Amino acid sequence: MATFLVILHGLLAVALLGSITHQAVAVVWPARSKAGFASAYRSVSSPVYANANIVLFLAVACLGAYIYPVYRVWVRTYLESARLYSAVGSFEIKEQFISIGLGLLPLYWLVWRRPDPAGQSARTAVTLILCFIVWLGFIVGHILNNVRGFFGL
Amino acid sequence: MNTTAIEKLIPVFSAAFAAIYIVSVELNWALFTYHPKIHQWGWLVEPSRDGPPMYWYGWLVTSTLGAAVVSAIALPLLKNRPTQYWLGWTVPLLVMLSVFYLFRDFFLR
Repeated sequence: MATFLVILHGLLAVALLGSITHQAVAVVWPARSKAGFASAYRSVSSPVYANANIVLFLAVACLGAYIYPVYRVWVRTYLESARLYSAVGSFEIKEQFISIGLGLLPLYWLVWRRPDPAGQSARTAVTLILCFIVWLGFIVGHILNNVRGFFGL
Repeated sequence: MNTTAIEKLIPVFSAAFAAIYIVSVELNWALFTYHPKIHQWGWLVEPSRDGPPMYWYGWLVTSTLGAAVVSAIALPLLKNRPTQYWLGWTVPLLVMLSVFYLFRDFFLR
């Protein structure tokens, strides 16, 4: 069951990663023309991603919270016995960043609900912060999920 | 409470959540503890019963309730001011930077 949930957690994280990266690129580097792949990627309507990103972030975080005890009891104990402290520390940082991301979600919703000029810098900043959190969480999760292969254990 | 008031409170909530969260982590202000090996819950911070205790869920609840209280207290102060969007992302960003510092020991062993 835990393996299935970890895979589901990963798949939803992939969807979130793609969605929020798409939005972040369109915010930071917008394009008017849709000619070519790069311009088409940059010219999407950013606001339409907001609600999907919120739902996906919550779903990934809730799934992560549900399977967290398995990591805490079995995986972290193993990592500590293998003296992989940087791997344990990476997960700790991921955990704290996801929490901060959860606290940012109401603001993210607010700045995208009614895009007004006053919230422009906040809109860019919050989107980039959440994008960074999602990327970090994904990379750390991926490395930990494959830690034995990565570290030749 | 009208929509404008809620809009003004949200940046305060996000800022307070991040600040209270990192203090909760550092001082271990968990509202409850989970003991995953034996599937038991306990109020506030408890030492290990069997296996490692988990405080993360408790920190999240502490931060949510704390941020809600801070937001409610801030409401009268925000009444005649514009929405302080900047507050909602600068504080979490600073907290994120502090996380790297606070957890540096894992990478220096």
